[in-house]
Amino acid sequence: MRRLLLGAAALGAAMAWSAQEPAPAPDPMLQAMHDEIERSRKLTLSNLEAPYFIEYLIDDEENFSVTASLGGLVGRRHERFRSPEVHVRVGDYKFDNTNYTGSGFSFGTRYNLERFPLEDDYPLLRRYLWLQTDSAYKSAVEAISRKRAALRNLTAGEQIDDFAHAQPVHYIRALPRLAIDEEAWTNRVRALSAVFAQYPEVENSTVVMESSDGGFYVVNSEGTEVRARESSTYLRAQATAQAPDGMIVRDAVAFHSLDATHMPVDAELNRGLAALAENVVALAHAPKGEDYSGPVLFAGIAGAQIFAEVLGRNLALTRRPAMEQGRGAVVSASELEGRTGARVLPDSFDVVDDPTQKEWRGRPLYGSYDVDREGVAAAPLHLIEKGVLKGFLLTRQPVRGFEGSNGRARMPGNYGAATAGFSNLFIGSSETTPAAELKHKLMELCRTRDKPYGIMVRKMDFPSSAPLDEARRLLAGSPGSTHPVSIPILVYKVYPDGREELVRGLRFRGLNARSLKDILAAGDDSTVFEFMNSPAPFALIGASSFAAETSVVAPSILVDDLELHPAEEELPKLPVAPAPELVR
Amino acid sequence: MIRLVSLRLTFLVAVAAIASAQPSVLLDAMSQELNRNFSALKEKADPPPYFMSYEVTEQEVRSVSGTLGALTASEGGKERFLDVSVRVGSPKLDNYHRVRGERGQFTSGAPLTYEDNVNSIKRRLWLETDRAYRTAAERLIRIKTNTQVKVADEDNSDDFSTEEPAVFQQAPPKLKFDEAAWSERIRQLSARFQHYPGVLTSRVAVLCQTDTRYLVDTGGTRVEHGRGFARVVVTASAKAADGTDLSAFESFEAVDAAGLPEDKAMLAAVDRVAKDVSALLRAPEAEPFVGPAIFSGRAAGVFFHEIFGHRVEGHRQKDESEGQTFTKSVGAKVLPDFLSVVFDPTRRKIGAVDLNGWYDYDDEGVKARPVTVVDKGVLKTFLMSRSPIRGFDRSNGHGRRQPGLEVVSRQSNLLVESTNTVTEAKLRQMLIGEIKKQNKPYGLYFRDITGGFTTTQRTGLQAFKVIPVIVYRVYPDGRPDELVRGADIVGTPLASFAKILATSDKAEVFNGYCGAESGSVPVSAVSPAILVSEIEIEKKAKSQDRPPLLPEPTSMESKGDSK
Repeated sequence: MRRLLLGAAALGAAMAWSAQEPAPAPDPMLQAMHDEIERSRKLTLSNLEAPYFIEYLIDDEENFSVTASLGGLVGRRHERFRSPEVHVRVGDYKFDNTNYTGSGFSFGTRYNLERFPLEDDYPLLRRYLWLQTDSAYKSAVEAISRKRAALRNLTAGEQIDDFAHAQPVHYIRALPRLAIDEEAWTNRVRALSAVFAQYPEVENSTVVMESSDGGFYVVNSEGTEVRARESSTYLRAQATAQAPDGMIVRDAVAFHSLDATHMPVDAELNRGLAALAENVVALAHAPKGEDYSGPVLFAGIAGAQIFAEVLGRNLALTRRPAMEQGRGAVVSASELEGRTGARVLPDSFDVVDDPTQKEWRGRPLYGSYDVDREGVAAAPLHLIEKGVLKGFLLTRQPVRGFEGSNGRARMPGNYGAATAGFSNLFIGSSETTPAAELKHKLMELCRTRDKPYGIMVRKMDFPSSAPLDEARRLLAGSPGSTHPVSIPILVYKVYPDGREELVRGLRFRGLNARSLKDILAAGDDSTVFEFMNSPAPFALIGASSFAAETSVVAPSILVDDLELHPAEEELPKLPVAPAPELVR
Repeated sequence: MIRLVSLRLTFLVAVAAIASAQPSVLLDAMSQELNRNFSALKEKADPPPYFMSYEVTEQEVRSVSGTLGALTASEGGKERFLDVSVRVGSPKLDNYHRVRGERGQFTSGAPLTYEDNVNSIKRRLWLETDRAYRTAAERLIRIKTNTQVKVADEDNSDDFSTEEPAVFQQAPPKLKFDEAAWSERIRQLSARFQHYPGVLTSRVAVLCQTDTRYLVDTGGTRVEHGRGFARVVVTASAKAADGTDLSAFESFEAVDAAGLPEDKAMLAAVDRVAKDVSALLRAPEAEPFVGPAIFSGRAAGVFFHEIFGHRVEGHRQKDESEGQTFTKSVGAKVLPDFLSVVFDPTRRKIGAVDLNGWYDYDDEGVKARPVTVVDKGVLKTFLMSRSPIRGFDRSNGHGRRQPGLEVVSRQSNLLVESTNTVTEAKLRQMLIGEIKKQNKPYGLYFRDITGGFTTTQRTGLQAFKVIPVIVYRVYPDGRPDELVRGADIVGTPLASFAKILATSDKAEVFNGYCGAESGSVPVSAVSPAILVSEIEIEKKAKSQDRPPLLPEPTSMESKGDSK
């Protein structure tokens, strides 16, 4: 039912869009994509099957980035690129070349194509698409025969189709070139990075600003034609310091906007960076945290971060690919798989993912979009109602129990499919406590349970700014199949008298989607948390070449029965030579 | 005495250069931080360092590429990378000591601000010094354990040589690149491939770069030097009906964009590349063959670089996992006595052609100088960095690296010199004579070799393979030469050199980039054509894929009217 309804909604939306904009000028890119797909339907190889589905997805982006440290520019880059993905499916919707460990690999000729032309030269675009389709088709034919061979020796389990049907969508928007004052931003970033010169204890700091404009094209053999704009700007700062025992402490801060001109003003950015520096210095002086078991208050942005990481990432289902006997594939399953209809949050909670909502309390929402990367129109999704799980974020890849996309193909994926991601995730509760009273609630709980203190977290390391080796250790150190959760950055002991004491070096143990059933109270506050989501663990910054603009609107939460433990890692020594003096 | 004179000369040059150079904020910050860290570490650290150096490489790059009349990329940027070297122990045995092939990696090529901001520069230097020091100290402890456990190395020479400090300051000219003009040129040059329907993919790209290196060390070296690079690359590929991938390549190198040839010469190169690929499509497949051959000057240059040059790199003589082809051959004949091989990084041009492998100082601050490695067939020395080997305890200015990797000895401009020269026409007659003498159906002519690889490690097969792109069969009966495709030259180094019979009297230049342990470095190889009595070729591994299943969508030739 849901599927059908969504399809109808998408179609309606598509018609509405067509009416919105005047007939666009002919686009050689769309024309070339369309014409080459039409021609490629006839592809065959020694009487092997022809493609049943062809899709071209081309990102067309121009971006500018600048990096500085302590008042000196480290990098400045302006680039424009077009990055094509050519998807060719042979077989049929029930059984095709995807969802197999060999899918997506190029078995065939690669043709040395290098970079995709930046100019709208119709014959040349056709030529590139021709050769890439040829490669993709040969790989697809090879993959399906290997997949058939692999499955011959295995008894079939539950049959799930390989690809879901979708309504064709026609959605055309202009793709503007990047228009940003590069000099002005370069000067701003340089000046902002100099803030850290006032904090000699900060060992290492960087400020990065990146702005991009453009969008993507999707054309497929079912008739979908999409040219959608994507524009995004962020400024991110990271800083580290070293505690007297050698522990490296760090924090990061980021500001996002869909439109560069709406980025915060310098005064606000300066405040954010100064707070970051102060946090890091405070952490370096803070005592180490100790083992703790009991209630934890996630205040402000930390509440939204927990929902983003612990709930949001489990709202996408991962399908296990077909594979040769005896081979393993690492598939991290959603902790919520199979729990549709079950209670996953307290009864008072509702969760909606709504890409169509453009703003919230006057503020533009960072995760808004109209059409996803498979050309499927996105509609609001009621994922959790009264605490009960109602659905998942879906792409055109059927997963157990669900078939039919709801327009959440936001990131590239594995084995021929896209990865689902949320857009603007709204978490609301019908029973709220004034935010200021949550801390009292925590203190109250500690008193009744005879605990010397409770724990409050004001910031998680999500998306993580950890160095790669630290992220690896965190992943490796996580027992069993549970996703490890990123580390808490700003953790405070809250004493019965209300005093707060910052502590460092704590990690959660066993914090997962089930922990959210133990939410004791939600604040009446709602914090907007914006971030670049990516398929990497902890959405680790810099670990993935692709990121999706995302936002979460959520209250502070008080969760019962969580465990924290001190990190057990060998600590580096302090530098032998003292830091060089900073000149103002 | 001699040393004193050369020292004074260096000093004079340095004074002159400093007088004309801007005061360098970067160099000053580097030496201040070097001295501060060195003193602190010497005083407080255990083990203390006995030597430290900082090298900063500043690269400014602009590039434009295109295909079939349209641009595919247009990029640029400026960056600085920091390489820190900390030596703990003593020159006799330090953390850089090789242990059975395993080398230490201490530097990380960390990005550094490219602006003259002292706070930012010094912080990074300090953090990287601390990191490099820790890695260095850790490895020294492991090495000391290892040397106690294992048998002694055959070559127990020192780990680090003493060199005169260098003081020199001369920055290269600023990068000049007219992006609009080059974009148009790249469009026009790449559009020329539209006239060659057999060519499947093609590319024309220009890259301009300046590379400035700043080096300070605790021995008193303080150097700023650099140079420009400009390069145009023309490539094309096609796929034969049997699946063989075919490609051809030409490039032009100069120190700056203004030194690159005019359009006429570049269009001619595009035509040659396109015609080569088109001709290869029709050419028969090569058969395994042993017999006489001529290498063109360019092909011979690459041949010498791969087969000979890599085997005279100094560090390989000390490393017992290496094949050490020539280690004990100093003073012995390794090439025919009419051949000499000189590595000369001070040579900037051959005739009108800019060489790619020149520099003023190497990456350890040792002044560049010509080194005659083979004199009239007799091996005299090796290419040396500051890592001594038995019998050679000083550097000869060949310690090179790409930022982020540790220095090893590398080639520069390789020059093959011959006293047994004949005209090219005569060399061809000699080839035909050899073919007849050996009673072979044909001989071979290698016109272009793009590259190759050679295994110098003992655990591998001590052989080489070079990849010729354009190979002709030369028939003794006067039939025209016949292009063949899909051949690789294989052989073993010592056997190959003995078979060189004569050379032509015309040197040709091959400019390129060489990749080895310390990354990619610019090099040249200059050689006359050579005649060899015997060379072996084998069939190249080939792809099993078919050419594109559908014909090309629209003819590129009628591009103008198709819209």
